[in-house]
Amino acid sequence: MNSVFSNKTAIAIFVLPTLLIFCGIVLVPIFVSSYYSVLDWDGVGKGAFIGLDNYVEMFTDARALHSIRNSFLFAAASIFIQLPISLLLALILASSVRGEGFYRTVYFIPVLISTVVIAQLWSKIYNADYGLLNTLLDNIGLSGLAQDWLGQKKTALAASFIPTLWQYVGYHMLLMYAGAKSISQDILEAAKIDGASRIRTAFSITIPLMKPILKVCLVFSVIGAFKVFDLVYVLTGGGPLFATEVPSTLMYTTIFNTYRYGYGSAVSVFIILECLIFTVLINKFFKTE
Amino acid sequence: MKALLKRSMSLVLALGLAGSLAACSSNSSGGKSSEGSGSGSIKLTLWDQSVGNTDPSAKLLPQIIEKWNKEHPDVQIERTGTTGEQYKTKIKTSLAANEAPDLFYGMGGGSFMQPYIESENVLEISSYLTDEIKSKMAPGMAEAIETDGKIYTLPVYTHIANLYVNTELFDKAGAKIPTTYTELLDAVEKLKAAGITPALIGEKDRWPGMYWYDMIAMRQAGHDAVIEAFKDPAKWDSPDFVAAAAKMQELAKVGAFNSSMLSMSYDEMLGAFNAGSGAMMFQANWVNAGIEDPSSATKGKVQVIPFPVFEDGKGKATEIFGGAVDGFYVSSTTKHPKEAVDFLMYLSEQLGTQGYLAGAGLPSWNIDGLDTSSLSTLDQSAADIMKTATSFITWWDNILPAESAETHKNLIASLLAGDITPEEFCKQMAQLKPTELTL
Repeated sequence: MNSVFSNKTAIAIFVLPTLLIFCGIVLVPIFVSSYYSVLDWDGVGKGAFIGLDNYVEMFTDARALHSIRNSFLFAAASIFIQLPISLLLALILASSVRGEGFYRTVYFIPVLISTVVIAQLWSKIYNADYGLLNTLLDNIGLSGLAQDWLGQKKTALAASFIPTLWQYVGYHMLLMYAGAKSISQDILEAAKIDGASRIRTAFSITIPLMKPILKVCLVFSVIGAFKVFDLVYVLTGGGPLFATEVPSTLMYTTIFNTYRYGYGSAVSVFIILECLIFTVLINKFFKTE
Repeated sequence: MKALLKRSMSLVLALGLAGSLAACSSNSSGGKSSEGSGSGSIKLTLWDQSVGNTDPSAKLLPQIIEKWNKEHPDVQIERTGTTGEQYKTKIKTSLAANEAPDLFYGMGGGSFMQPYIESENVLEISSYLTDEIKSKMAPGMAEAIETDGKIYTLPVYTHIANLYVNTELFDKAGAKIPTTYTELLDAVEKLKAAGITPALIGEKDRWPGMYWYDMIAMRQAGHDAVIEAFKDPAKWDSPDFVAAAAKMQELAKVGAFNSSMLSMSYDEMLGAFNAGSGAMMFQANWVNAGIEDPSSATKGKVQVIPFPVFEDGKGKATEIFGGAVDGFYVSSTTKHPKEAVDFLMYLSEQLGTQGYLAGAGLPSWNIDGLDTSSLSTLDQSAADIMKTATSFITWWDNILPAESAETHKNLIASLLAGDITPEEFCKQMAQLKPTELTL
């Protein structure tokens, strides 16, 4: 078997099918989209070449800039709220608490549920008329706080962040948990013998040794935030009045509701570039540290 | 080892080949298969989106096709049904690739079909139409389906929007069913005092709110002014339309609509109205079946009335918001245009009349001599309102070009939320593009 894996042609042959599929459904569409993004095209017939006008429009249009701002806020919330929670849970679980397997499974369940189901679930929780959240507030005497969570500009954005943050906490927790578990017991025992407290051990030993996995989590959560679509689309559709619009929902509405394939493609190319640039930046950041 | 590798390679290749073959063959059978089937008979393909459980057309279509196939052994119809949003993508893709079926269902006139009419993907059928078929249509229909003097489709159902009022809640609040704007405001006041939500809007989807504004604008400015403004958008910025926007905002400010409207979807709105959580809803007759459903708490308590007229408005109660917009189209790539149009005429009339009896929509065809006793009261009253019609204006988001339609809906949402003043609203409406349709 080893001889097969060291044979370059064999490797090439085994990789080929996947490579072809990958090119067909990922690379080629990216290039096709880039081409569309310099056209003024309604999806039928021939498009007119307009150079970078679509991109210029995107960076001058208040609605598009607002959606980009929202996606950055979303990324920030993922980094500063979601990942710390995941890390805390991972460290607690990895320190051999009772019911480790049980909690691990419970926190991971939201990851397994379809995002559309989660969005429906949360839209019922937020519902202004019969929602769980408002009913709860009423029952504990805080009726004044009950409101139309997804229907107001000032609460809708935060309300649509929470379900995604909640959904993927388990995913990052599992990655970090695996990272923490793979740290050699010898090092941890040595720290214990030296009299390091649990918190000290976590900050001086476990977290620094988990750096590679933390980098992966950071990349995943930032990219996930930039391209979030399904949850926002089902929960609010980008509304009310664009308050929760992110680049991907903007792309969807411009292409499928206003038939501006060129402009929508420009937005999609922007999302791809944004993700690539941030992946490189995060990798650089971890290297220099 | 090498032998194993070779064998597995050839297996992979064989599988790949089989896969691509399968893909090809399914493609060609899904696309156009209008070739004769050996016995010399013509095969026509038909695509539609009537597959839902509650959609009466989903039951009627197969029956109508079966009957046609029996009566016309030489022209056989093959039908493929696909569900809503997927259907839109499917038909768009196949039209763009010139692989459209012989006949297909096209959504609401204007913005959906216009590009395909312009790019000549759709067959122009005026020359195939006889006076006989035109005389079978309901009054005004033959003119209404013309685009630039040409005909591409035939009407099936007509849908018109009216005010649905829950009489039980009105009685409870001691409110009078409104016929004028003043009475509407009065009813809102009384309903609110009784702790009842006066009217429901599912503004998350934006078009339910658009129906309100469009109707108010038609009552305020009148039919002709609206048609003029569609052609020359600068006219949206005129005192009548400002007054309409002001009335819309006034209704929102006095609490006529549910406070949760911006997060409520169209489906949730229907659910809430059918459960009796709101006293009024402005919608088209496609909601009738849901209200009359045995599971609905409001069954038998709902009355459908024309939208109130305005004391200071130029519009009349007989100017109807709605029309026949959805229909079947023939592809310009069909090999048998005559047979396809023959079937189109048969299908449109049969579905239009039988569907009316099944509660799918109001008929676009002459229904004298049909037994309408089986119709629900809501369908009958809607049909009675339609009989009084002097003019129709269909859904504005179909008349406006796609991008302007989006802007129009977004502006109305801002108006309802109190984000913009009626004056700003009309200034921005004046920036819309003129309609591409001939009205």
